[in-house]
Amino acid sequence: METSVVGKGLPKFDAYTKAKGTIAYADDFSLPGMLYAKVLRSKYPAAMIISINTARAKSLPGVHAVMTGKDVPHNNLRAKFGQSTDIGPNFEGLYRVLAEEKVRFLGEAIALVAADSEKIAEEALALIDVIYEQLPGVFDPIEALKQDAYLVGDNDTNLVSQFKIRQGDVETAFKSADVIVENTYSVPFKDHAFLEPESGVAWVDENGIITIRVCTQVIEHFRTVAEVLGIPHNHVRVIGTWVGGGFGGKEDITVESFLALLTWKTKRPVKLTYTREESFLAHSKRHPFVMKYKTGATKDGLLVALETELIADSGAYTYLSPWVLLYATVNAAGPYNIPNVKVDTVAVLTNNPFSSAYRGFGAVQPNFAYESQMDELARILDLDPLTIRLKNCLQQGDTLTTGADFGGSVAVREVAEKAWQALGPKRADPGKHIKLGRGLAVGMMSYGRLTFLHDTSRSYIKLELDGSVLMRSGIPDLGAGQAQALVQIAAEELGVPLEKIKIFTSDTSLTPLAGTSTATRQLYMSGNATLKAAREVKERLINKASVMLKADKTDLKFENEKIIRISEPDKYLALSTVIGQCSTDGDELYSEAQFNAPFTEVPVSDVITGQTFADFTFGAYAVEVAIDEETGEVNVERAVTCYDVGKAINPLNVEGQLEGGGVDSIGYALTENFVVEQGYLKSHSLAEYLLPTALDVPDIETILVESGAGIGPYGAKGIGEPACNAMAPAIINAIRDAVGVRITSLPATPEKILFAMLSRIK
Amino acid sequence: MKTNTKILASEFEYLECPTLAEALNCLSKYNGKAKILAGGTDLLIKMKSGLLQCQYLIFVKKIEALNYLISDKKTLRIGPMISLRSIEKNEQVKAYYSALFEAVRSMAATSVKNMATIGGNLCNGSPAADTAPPLLVYGATLKLSSIRGDRIVPVEEFFVGPSQTVLESDELLTEICLPDLGDQIGSSFLKLGRVSADIAKINVAVCLNRTGKSVGNCRIAFGSVAPTPIRIPEAEEILKGQEMSDELIVKAAKAAAGLIKPITDKRSTNSYRQQVSKVILEEGIRSAWQRAGGEL
Repeated sequence: METSVVGKGLPKFDAYTKAKGTIAYADDFSLPGMLYAKVLRSKYPAAMIISINTARAKSLPGVHAVMTGKDVPHNNLRAKFGQSTDIGPNFEGLYRVLAEEKVRFLGEAIALVAADSEKIAEEALALIDVIYEQLPGVFDPIEALKQDAYLVGDNDTNLVSQFKIRQGDVETAFKSADVIVENTYSVPFKDHAFLEPESGVAWVDENGIITIRVCTQVIEHFRTVAEVLGIPHNHVRVIGTWVGGGFGGKEDITVESFLALLTWKTKRPVKLTYTREESFLAHSKRHPFVMKYKTGATKDGLLVALETELIADSGAYTYLSPWVLLYATVNAAGPYNIPNVKVDTVAVLTNNPFSSAYRGFGAVQPNFAYESQMDELARILDLDPLTIRLKNCLQQGDTLTTGADFGGSVAVREVAEKAWQALGPKRADPGKHIKLGRGLAVGMMSYGRLTFLHDTSRSYIKLELDGSVLMRSGIPDLGAGQAQALVQIAAEELGVPLEKIKIFTSDTSLTPLAGTSTATRQLYMSGNATLKAAREVKERLINKASVMLKADKTDLKFENEKIIRISEPDKYLALSTVIGQCSTDGDELYSEAQFNAPFTEVPVSDVITGQTFADFTFGAYAVEVAIDEETGEVNVERAVTCYDVGKAINPLNVEGQLEGGGVDSIGYALTENFVVEQGYLKSHSLAEYLLPTALDVPDIETILVESGAGIGPYGAKGIGEPACNAMAPAIINAIRDAVGVRITSLPATPEKILFAMLSRIK
Repeated sequence: MKTNTKILASEFEYLECPTLAEALNCLSKYNGKAKILAGGTDLLIKMKSGLLQCQYLIFVKKIEALNYLISDKKTLRIGPMISLRSIEKNEQVKAYYSALFEAVRSMAATSVKNMATIGGNLCNGSPAADTAPPLLVYGATLKLSSIRGDRIVPVEEFFVGPSQTVLESDELLTEICLPDLGDQIGSSFLKLGRVSADIAKINVAVCLNRTGKSVGNCRIAFGSVAPTPIRIPEAEEILKGQEMSDELIVKAAKAAAGLIKPITDKRSTNSYRQQVSKVILEEGIRSAWQRAGGEL
C-alpha cells in the first residue's frame, strides 16, 4: 500500500517546544495558593511502626496537613494495578498508600506533609516522631522461600506467584544430547532513571472534582485514587502531562494518591515533585533474576532440550510481579525451536525495593541467559554465532513453547543475518593489549498486553468546518512519539497536512480512554482505533463527495486537503467544501472508534498453555567491543541492530526507539548496578548509579525490516520494549569472543572481567 | 544514608565578598563558623544532603583578583577561582602542562566545569581530586592567606585526610604556583572511571625531565589509593638517573603497586586498584617520557 505521510521520518510536532524548553512538564506548573508536599519515608527496610506522633509537625507554622495511614479512608486496597478487566486474585496484590504497622522496605512512605513551602514541609518531616521496632527482614529471594523465612507481608508465605511450561520430556532428551551447557545467570535491580522525576499538582476544581495533573504512563489510575478516597470514580480527574521518560517506572501509581489526599484534606492546590534521590527510593525497579539454564544440543548444533528455573525478586510488594513473571516464563526459551522444554518460574517477596514494570517486562532477563547459552554452545561445537542461531531459530509456522501459534511474521533468521553481516570483515586488534571481539544476540518480545486482559483503546477524530482536524485520545505520550503516530495516521487517511491536525491527549474526563502507555501497546491499540475512526469519517466524506462529484465511491482519493476523482484528477472538491456540505445536511463529521485486542481466557493453572500474547516482535543486535586486557575496560565500538518492525509509521522515531533501547541495554550490560545491601540502598544518586553518557556509547546503526505482517495499523509491530532485547547479551558474548571469559552476572564491570581473565590464566 | 533534598535546610547568612580583603576579614570575623563557597559543585551537595552545616557562607568566586592564569616562560601562577573549564581551554596549559590539561579534561561535564574551580577541587580535600596528582608532580606550592599574613605550603603537605587539609579556619587559598620545571620535561595524567566524566576509581600523574637517554628529575603521584593524593618516592627513585627502558618502567610501576594500599569502596575494589595501578603508571611514564622527547 502506498502511503504519503505514514512511513515518513517527519519531526514530531512536540519536538520544537521540547528542544526550546518551553513545554510545560509536570513540575512546570503552579496554581495560586499552592502548597508543597513532602513524604516521610521509612528509615529501615523491615520494622514495626510502634507509634507515629505528628503533633510537633502539625504545630509548625506554615504546615497545613500531616497525614498518616490512619487518615487515609481506604489505605489498603486489593489492587489490579490499573487493569479494568476482572482477572482474579492471581494477578492482584496489596496496594498500601502509607505504611501501617509493618514497614516492608527502605523508603516506604509513612506520612505526608503539605506546607507553604518545600522547606517548611521538609522541616515538618523532621518533626514527625516515629518509633520503630526493627525486624530482621529477608533480602534474598531464595532465603525468602524457605519454610521458616521472615514474612515480608501479612500472608503466611513470601511466594508471589509461580508458572510452569512443560513440553516434551527433558529428562530423556538430555540423555540423547551430545552437548549440555549449564550456567546460572544473575541480573541486578535496574532503575528507570528517567530525566523527569515523579511530579504532579492536584487541586479541587469548582465542581468538587479532585483533579491531578501528573506525569504518568497510566491515567486510568484515577479509579484507584477514587477508591483510596472512597469517592465515585467520576469525582477524580487525571490530566496526564507530556512525560519526560517512563520506561515502566511511571506505570504504577507514584504521587497521585498522595496529592489527592492532601488536596482533599486542605482544599488547596498541592504540588509534589520528587528529588532524584527520592525517586530512586520511591519507585519500582526492574526485577533481579537468578536464572539456572541447562541447554542440550546434538553435535550438529540442534537444540534438543532446555530446562530452566527463574527466580525473580519482587521486593516488598506484589505490584506487577505476576505479570512480569508470566512474560519471563513465556519468553524463557527464546525464539528457538526446542522440542523438550521445562520452565519453572517463581516470584518472591523480600524487604528489598519493590520490583515492577521496566521496559522489557520480564523478557529481557531470560534473553541475557538464553543468548549466553547459545553462544557457549556455539563455542563448544565450533559453530559461528550466526550458524547456531539459524539452525535453531523459529520460522514461520512454528509454535511457541506454550503451544500457541505465531501469527504475522517470524523474521528471526532475517534480522540475525542482517545484523551480523552488517559488521563486515573483521579488523585486526588495534593495540597489543586491546582485543576486539564480536557478539550476536537475537530476541523476542510481545507487543500489546496479555490477551486475557481484554485490552481496548478508543480514539476520537473530528473535522472542523475549515478543514482542520481535532483529535482526542487518552494516550499518555512518554516522549516516544505516541501522539505523533496517531496524528500521522489521521493525516495519511484524511489527506490533511500534519500542521492542520491538533491532538488533545491524556485527560480521563475529556479524552476517550486509550489505555496505558505500557506493554508496547499504543501504536498497536490506539493506532488501530485511530485508523478505524479516520476511516469511518472518511467513509462519510466519500459518500457525500461521490454525490457532489457524481463519481463512483471507489474513484475518489484524499490528497492535499482535496477529494479528487482518480480517473479525472482535474475534478475535485476542497475537503472543507465537502465538510461544509455535510454540516449543512446535518452530518457532524466526527467519530469515536474502539479497537478491541484478541481475547483469550485467564489461565486457570500455573502450567501455561496456549495463547497469551497477540503477536511478537523479533530483533537482533550485533556488536563489536574493544577490551583493554590490562584494565578490563570495555568499549562498545560498533553496534548494529536489525528489527522487523512490520511497518515503520515514522522511521526516525523507530530508529530513536531502537537506539534508546540499545543505550539502555549498554548500561544494563556494563555500568548500571542498583546495589542493595540488606535492604539498604548503596547507589542512591546518579553519582553512584551510573548511566552510560554520550561518550560511552557508539553510534547505533539501525536496519529496519518491514514485513508488513504486524497486527498494528498498516501492518506495524510494536518496538518500544522489544528494543531492549539482545544488546546486553550481544555485548557479553563479544567480551567472551575478545578475551575468552564468560560473564554470567550483570553488569560486566572491568573488575569482574579483569579478575575473570586473571583467574583463567592461572 | 543522607539524601540530597535539593533544599538548603539549615539557616545561614550569605556573604558575598567582591574583594580578597573583605573575604579575609569575613573569614577572620566568623572564624570557624563560616564555609567558603566557590563553584559550589561539592559544597552545595553536602549542604543539601545535610552533611554539612555552617552559620555563614562566604562567596568568593567573584573575586576578580583570584581569577587568573599567568604563565611566564618558566612558571605558572593560577588564581584558585579560575574555573576548570578556563584551565582546560588555556593554550599554555594544553601545550606545556599536559598532566594538568588531561586531568581537567577528564573531569565532569562542561556545565559543571564552568562552575567548578581548581581552588575548590583542592580545598574540598577529596582523595580522588583529579587536579591534585598533577600539582603534586609539578611540585606546586599553595599560597594560603589570612589577615594574619600569607604562608606558602607545598601541595604535598596540604592534604591531611579525606576532606581534611592544613587550611586554617580563617585562611583562604589565594594562589597555586607551579615552579620552573626545567628543560625537556614531559608530564601525563591517566584515570580510570566507571563512565566518562566520572570521579576517579584511580588516577595517576607523572612528570619527568629527560637528559639524553636517561631520566632526570621525576615525580609520580596517585589519587584514590590512600586517604589523600600521594606521591610514591620509592618508584620515583627507581627511575631517577637511569637509562629509560621498558624494563625500568615495569620495575617502577611494579614497585609502586606494591606500595599503595587502596581500599574497597562504591567505585571499585582494593584488588582492582592495586592491579591496574601498575598498568596506568606504566602508561603514564611512557607517555611523559615521549612528551619529554624520549624514545622507547
